[in-house]
Amino acid sequence: MASSSASKRLFKEYRGLASDPPEGIAAGPVTEDDMFLWEALIQGPEGTPFEGGIFPAELKFPKDYPLAPPSMRFLCDMWHPNVYPNGTVCISILHPPGDDPHQYEQASERWSPIQSVEKILISVMSMLAEPNDESPANVDAARMWRERRKEYERIVRENVKKGLGL
Amino acid sequence: MNSTYDIPDSTDWLKTSLSAFEPLEAALRCQVCKDFYDTPMITTCSHTFCSLCIRRCLASDGKCPICRSSDQADKLRKNGAVQEIVDSFQAARPAALKLAREDVALREEHGAPKRMLKRKLDDTDLEEAEEQRPKQSRRTRSQNRVQDSSPPRLEVIDLDEDYEDDNGLVKCPVCNIRMKEESIWSHLDKCDGQSKPSSGRNSRSRSTPSVTNLLQRTPEKEPASALARLPQLNYSLLKENALRKKLQDLGIPALGSKQLLIKRHVEWGNLWNSNCDSARPRTKRELLKDLDTWERSQGGGAPNPAAVVMKKDFDGNGWATSNKSQFDELIANARRKRTPVEKVEMKEDAVDKMETTAAETREFYDNSNLHNDLRRPSEGNEDALSIIREKADQANLDGLTSRSIVNLASRANAHVNTVDEDVFLDAPRDEFIGNSLDSPLHN
Repeated sequence: MASSSASKRLFKEYRGLASDPPEGIAAGPVTEDDMFLWEALIQGPEGTPFEGGIFPAELKFPKDYPLAPPSMRFLCDMWHPNVYPNGTVCISILHPPGDDPHQYEQASERWSPIQSVEKILISVMSMLAEPNDESPANVDAARMWRERRKEYERIVRENVKKGLGL
Repeated sequence: MNSTYDIPDSTDWLKTSLSAFEPLEAALRCQVCKDFYDTPMITTCSHTFCSLCIRRCLASDGKCPICRSSDQADKLRKNGAVQEIVDSFQAARPAALKLAREDVALREEHGAPKRMLKRKLDDTDLEEAEEQRPKQSRRTRSQNRVQDSSPPRLEVIDLDEDYEDDNGLVKCPVCNIRMKEESIWSHLDKCDGQSKPSSGRNSRSRSTPSVTNLLQRTPEKEPASALARLPQLNYSLLKENALRKKLQDLGIPALGSKQLLIKRHVEWGNLWNSNCDSARPRTKRELLKDLDTWERSQGGGAPNPAAVVMKKDFDGNGWATSNKSQFDELIANARRKRTPVEKVEMKEDAVDKMETTAAETREFYDNSNLHNDLRRPSEGNEDALSIIREKADQANLDGLTSRSIVNLASRANAHVNTVDEDVFLDAPRDEFIGNSLDSPLHN
């Protein structure tokens, strides 16, 4: 069975996540035939309006993973300054160190081959708790988060309920 | 634990009585590939990775993945001590893990009987012994060995072929074969040094001591034959053909665009040079297999959007129908262009168009060729096109009519594609060439 180094590494990460999952996170390939498309479930961090929610997301890995980072997209409604309206997550760990379009991220925060799915998901979880409004992906959500926090939290809670089918 | 996938992972230790082994094993794994270090190399910033992993990283962005400081592949140095630790750990791992798992199982069955407590103590000893090894100097290795082998249950490990130690054996400096000290002198007289590469590659038990040796005899000499590292090339200074020649000389596929040639050469350099670092070098054939794997996942064989069109069940007629509007537009444009020109110019114009159309047609046929005969490599295009152009130019000079050029062009095609003659007689061709080429003449 000839498999690329990328799928080997992804299999190892899957293996590690399956036997020792971090709290509030579950992730794995959608099918085991294709290691390059994963689905992840993230629990809303406690003490935030996201609390109680389960947020599904998909991760797409490039063929030269781990040299290049995967992309991540939430598959549910997500009202958050760092999530594009289409669900794509915009955080520094998912950006390759080479290009820094916003000129605000430290190289050390960005993607490197030693990062992993686990670290991405943990970063996303903390992003939910503490949005970074320096370079918002969703400007409206960022403004609302800054200026009308109550309303922002109401929308988030509504999305949580919607996601749970309530 | 996920027993269906037999991939060892550091988390294997978590539910055993030796959970403290988890961080130990994690430390013996490369942070890039998450596997045990294979030919560990240390960077100038003192971080260790597998040779192939760090070479790939440096080739991609020239920075250490951990601290992001700049580094160069030719500044990498072997980290022989880590290699030795990894080899010994991997050899000891199955037996240790088995014990640690049985321990938990037994304890669950019977509570914690005295015997188990005793064994637990032994395990702790083992753990300490293992963990000391990275920190202590080589001098203490023999002490550890005595400790390790004193409990009878660890004999298993000593018997393991990977755990063969250099007890009383010396290595022939010429061929690397280990033997008793008494026999080395007589061996040296007749040793021809032939067995060296194969001994390193075929058996771990022989090569493991050679890693040990690497530590004892610094500076280590590079295995001589055929293992010279490949230099990096300045691709921007190289013309495509020169690069293609280089790839041919290296004996690796020389097909594809310059971009692909560069990517392939870089990957081959990574594979080749990391193999040079290895204490267990592999054959070129095996490296070529790795390159092929790379080719299929990331190189020219990787699925790309363009290849979607060339699927086996590509429907040429369907394609023609669905893109009819575009083709019609092109034809209309061509008609519009040629109306105001004089007769002589018109002829040239027509020939020009003929060429481009021939190219388009050719492209289209490649699709149908792929559909009909997958064995035909796409490299044939260039040849066919050049023949067509040549004929067209010639025809232009000779003042031949456009119609005969079409004939020549299709003859050129047929010449290249004799096997697929029937394909060329297919309907779609007449549609295309007919429509687009007849137009200038009918007026």
